[in-house]
Amino acid sequence: MKEIVDIVDIKKEIKKDRRAFIKNVLSGTIAGSLLMVIPAGAALDQRLPEQLPGMRGNDSPFTEKKFAFIVDVTACIGCGSCCVADKNEYNVPDGNYRTWVERYIIDDHDEVFVDSPNGGLDGYTKPRKDIPNPVRDTFFVPKLCNMCEKPSCVQVCPVGATYKTEDGFILVDKKRCVGCGYCIQACPYSVRFLNPVSRTAEKCTWCYHRVREGLLPACVNVCPTHARKFGDLNDKKSEVYKILREPHVISVLKPDMGNQPALHYLGLRREVV
Amino acid sequence: MEKKYKSAYYSHVIKIALILIIGGVLAVWARGLFLPDTMGQYGHYRGSDLEDQRNVEVRNHTNESCYECHRPIRLVHKAGVHKTVSCEFCHGPYADHITDGKYVAKMPVKRDMEIKTLCLRCHNEIIRARPEESIKVVAMPLHLEEKKVNVEHNCNQCHMVHDPLLWVKAAYDMMGLEMKGDKK
Repeated sequence: MKEIVDIVDIKKEIKKDRRAFIKNVLSGTIAGSLLMVIPAGAALDQRLPEQLPGMRGNDSPFTEKKFAFIVDVTACIGCGSCCVADKNEYNVPDGNYRTWVERYIIDDHDEVFVDSPNGGLDGYTKPRKDIPNPVRDTFFVPKLCNMCEKPSCVQVCPVGATYKTEDGFILVDKKRCVGCGYCIQACPYSVRFLNPVSRTAEKCTWCYHRVREGLLPACVNVCPTHARKFGDLNDKKSEVYKILREPHVISVLKPDMGNQPALHYLGLRREVV
Repeated sequence: MEKKYKSAYYSHVIKIALILIIGGVLAVWARGLFLPDTMGQYGHYRGSDLEDQRNVEVRNHTNESCYECHRPIRLVHKAGVHKTVSCEFCHGPYADHITDGKYVAKMPVKRDMEIKTLCLRCHNEIIRARPEESIKVVAMPLHLEEKKVNVEHNCNQCHMVHDPLLWVKAAYDMMGLEMKGDKK
């Protein structure tokens, strides 16, 4: 009975304005089919290529992945693309660096000279003139958060603002942080700083927000020489898995601190701290 | 003798116990009041911060995002030796140009000497830490002298910035010469 009434209603509707009716039906169909394609609430342009497969549209709080970051010291040219991208991504205040590039110069008396003018943000344009002896070895070392397996920063936070997610990211809760600075002192790699604007601790997050959208971290994405590599260790086809599994000279910074970083370096020299 | 000092009443003990119990209850209540709702959901942190962290704005996009609109540059840049160089490194982040799918501002374009500074940021031979396998370095103004051009020349007078060897290769082809170190 109700169906007949409905059909009569529709017929009335069509009679009233045929053009408007078709318009409504069509737009409804198109919008409906689009909703099935585009996940609701996603601000990011979905046409962006997915650089990390299987991340987009995953709404669970933690992923099943085990991420690793590899920096190839033998490939880095010290252009500072990574530093520029990082500053742009987070609007990092001047004088603070979530990632930076250090220049190491070792002379033939085994004396080590390290500098990092403006964190490598302006690139390296001038050679160092104060090296007394002939240079034996020189290279660039990009630095960022080591995402330790046993993070000392998490352990010392008195308010639970710094934490480790189940998929291995160490993050800082801006709303919870009171800016006491314990974590800044506890970090063996000095990657943390107190944001002068928000007065909270801040550090590299391996671009958690980008990774969860299936994008590579900003610095990895821009690196022209592919010196920065990022991937999933659970995926046996990934580049990082292959590098960490096959024989290479792979090392982490300050292994004696016992933090077990997930950031690995290829071709690192023993002089690097 | 000792018994004399022991009070027959327990009221003071009861008072202390009461204060402690009430204090404890108040403390637990106050703790619940001040702690965020999702604190301790997954561990000793605010669970809803995971959502906050995911909602950080993606400001740098990929080269592919730029190619969506800038088609002619795509053909040149993707085919050239500079294909791994990020558009956003020279021109600034995507989000300053497009926000919510809409054009908001013009991207800065490097001109004149800025271009030379930018080129030398990576290609300057003076910085010896650059590995040969990663990049071709040149010494200035030696490179200009070697190529027998005016030492005042800017890089982009011979090299197209989006594909530095495009014009050079074309010139070699025109002359029927083989390019030095050409892998092809």
